[in-house]
Amino acid sequence: MKMIVVFEKAPRLRHIGHLDLMRAMQRALRRSGLPLRYSQGFNPHILLNFAAPLSVGMPGKREIMEVPIEGEMSGEAFMEQLSKALPPDLPCLSARPVEDAHPAPMALLTAALYEARFDTAPPDLEKTVRDYLLQPEIPAIRKTKSGEKPCDLKPMIHLLRCEGDALIMALALSEKATCKPDLLLSSLFDFAKCERPRALVTRLQLLGEKDGVLSPLESL
Amino acid sequence: MNETEIAKLERLLEKVQRPARYTGGEMNAVRKDWKQVKCTFGFCFADTYEIGMSHLGMKILYYLINQRQDALCERVFMPDADMADLMRLEGVPLFSLESRAALNHFDIVGFTLQYEMSYTNILEMLDLGRIPLFGKDRGESDPIVVAGGPCAFNPEPLAPFIDAFMIGDGEDVMHELIDVIRDGRAQGLPRLDILRNLARLEGVYVPALYTVEYNKDGTLRSFSPNDPAAPAVVRKRVVKDLSAAVYPESIPVPYTEIVHDRMVLEIMRGCTRGCRFCQAGMLYRPVRERSMQRLLYLADQLQQSTGYEEMSLSSLSAGDYTCLPQLITALMARYMDKRVGVSLPSMRIDNIVKDSLIASQQVKKSGLTIAPEAGTQRLRDVINKGVTEEDLKRSVTDAFECGWSSVKLYFMMGLPTETDEDLAGIGHLAKTVVDCYYALPKEKRSKNGVKVTVSASVFVPKPFTPFQWAAQDPIPLVHEKQEKLRQYLKLKNVHFNWHESELSMLEACVSRGDRRIGEVIYRAWKRGCRLDSWYEHFQFDQWMAAFQDCHLDPAFYAHRERPYDELLPWQFVDAGVSMAYLRRENEKALRTETTRDCRHGCNGCGLQGWGVCSFVENPPLKDQPERSALLAD
Repeated sequence: MKMIVVFEKAPRLRHIGHLDLMRAMQRALRRSGLPLRYSQGFNPHILLNFAAPLSVGMPGKREIMEVPIEGEMSGEAFMEQLSKALPPDLPCLSARPVEDAHPAPMALLTAALYEARFDTAPPDLEKTVRDYLLQPEIPAIRKTKSGEKPCDLKPMIHLLRCEGDALIMALALSEKATCKPDLLLSSLFDFAKCERPRALVTRLQLLGEKDGVLSPLESL
Repeated sequence: MNETEIAKLERLLEKVQRPARYTGGEMNAVRKDWKQVKCTFGFCFADTYEIGMSHLGMKILYYLINQRQDALCERVFMPDADMADLMRLEGVPLFSLESRAALNHFDIVGFTLQYEMSYTNILEMLDLGRIPLFGKDRGESDPIVVAGGPCAFNPEPLAPFIDAFMIGDGEDVMHELIDVIRDGRAQGLPRLDILRNLARLEGVYVPALYTVEYNKDGTLRSFSPNDPAAPAVVRKRVVKDLSAAVYPESIPVPYTEIVHDRMVLEIMRGCTRGCRFCQAGMLYRPVRERSMQRLLYLADQLQQSTGYEEMSLSSLSAGDYTCLPQLITALMARYMDKRVGVSLPSMRIDNIVKDSLIASQQVKKSGLTIAPEAGTQRLRDVINKGVTEEDLKRSVTDAFECGWSSVKLYFMMGLPTETDEDLAGIGHLAKTVVDCYYALPKEKRSKNGVKVTVSASVFVPKPFTPFQWAAQDPIPLVHEKQEKLRQYLKLKNVHFNWHESELSMLEACVSRGDRRIGEVIYRAWKRGCRLDSWYEHFQFDQWMAAFQDCHLDPAFYAHRERPYDELLPWQFVDAGVSMAYLRRENEKALRTETTRDCRHGCNGCGLQGWGVCSFVENPPLKDQPERSALLAD
């Protein structure tokens, strides 16, 4: 079977890159004494899949990884054992056992929920957001490995609203279409014709679709 | 740090290279409540996180101090240049990784001195940490700044900046030092009285309590205590029983990759070989082994607490550990199914056990590094490196048969009595190693082809070695020799690395420097020198200008042969090895006479009366045994 594990990458660790985080998780899993599964081959490593890498500099409230294990065990037991092996800034929040045949989290992922918290909130942010979303199309330039591509952000924005001094965004995140929060913020403040204020962006939740509705990925 | 400073720091981290080295929060990092302890210790390593986190001594003392209920220890590293500049610009003080406390908030700030060319980093760290650089300028509320480690055996170049030095094994003295400072602070004693109490501890040197006088020619005239609390001779501390000594059962596991990212088992301290250039071999005497039972226990604890996938066995000469094959076999058996690799980092060629090489390959194939140090048998006899060409051939042939294909060879150039023949010998040995590979039938050797990397460092005479009186080659001569070596090493499959002769020259000045060198270090730092051991930051011309500022000549320290009757700046330290022994060894070196390994009989190095050496009982042999007899073990 395999475990769908939800964990937090606390703000203190936001500069830890994805490869470093994977190594840290592998070591934590080794410390935990859990019945892990290893890859075949000359240099066997622990089987472990992350739903989506976090950008360097971004904390994650509810990150998801999939850990294949030998035999059966409850999510609670898994979580208890793993928690003892994790550093304080990388706590395990939940674990749910699923069958091996269950689709990988990465395959179910369609979007993510973000919060952008500004050092100083820009004036009229609510109005800016409202006007921004009234555009029939939101053209932007997406930087990819193969160069710069023009795209329309509008269908990739599932949600965009102000909450106090923060901006809450649900943006597409999948193999087919991805809008990074960075791109959206640049586009928004270009539209408002003002300088982009410094913000700490946190990924709050990974999302997938269930009956046409965006739902927490770990529940799918 | 206060909240404003922390907010600034958060913003800085978005601008610097490799911010992960400044974030802390690693597994097994110890976070304690500052209100619950009586003494806080900021443990400083004067190089970047990647280097410092690879250092064993820091891990031992971090663990030892944090075991105390009444004290805490947090780690502080040298920020890289971009970070240091931004911190200064934005007003962020140097801080500890655990609780981001500013350095000047600690009761004790301790540096481990591993390398002389990191000394400008100490000044940079004190300055960034808002601590007055000079001991004499520190007030009652400033931390007590202490230092230990191998370079503390000649503390004089740092005397102006360090309040107290710990000389010898840190585990042995650390608790006493903390007790004295904790009690002194609790009683509200003036700083000077605390320093006096520290000076009363064995192995502690408080430079402010000593007066130095110089002759007209610049040599030392006298060195003596100016306070009744200060002893005339400071005797190094020695851990008698390594198995009973504290050793970390858990160590912080970094997120970002560091130089040696693995768990380390120190199997033995000290070395019996008596190589005459080797400072560590003299300072860490006598040899003490950690019991196999203790090592296996520690290995289990470390493996469980870190989750590391690799373990290395550490000591100056791991191959000399009495039960090495048994230890390796036991570790292999234990960790095979946990997929933990075991590697031997510093192997000596004259006792590598082929079986253990094969065993080591089962899990992890680590690089093969061999240090013949000199190119001819004559010069190896001069430096007492008991390794022959036959040993080398046998070792590399064994290694090639076991699947190794790359070998690193370490040499020194500029050793006493070196001639052109010795340099040519380095080329000859490199070629011999390549030939050993091709001498094997194709099916018995790796298909990757052979690669031999030759590194030649510049010999730096060090205190407390038989060569402590020797002159270092001047820079033009070093360049000439390097060019010759390049010619000798223009060989197929051989790659040649050499070291910066300028950096080695400064290392020679500082390692055998006196108190006046402290002023040079200060001037160099003032002129912008820091991170000197990083090629991209090294500013030789500024160092030379700093010498001029102080009216001192580097040649006086580096290139001058010192007479035996000259008072040496480190002579007040009793390191165990006696001046008479060192002199005897130096004279034997010049006569090309070797000295046996002291496992085969006591050589009377000076530790006989200390009750710490297990080889003192060995009968002192009248004659030198034959070389072949030496190798029979």
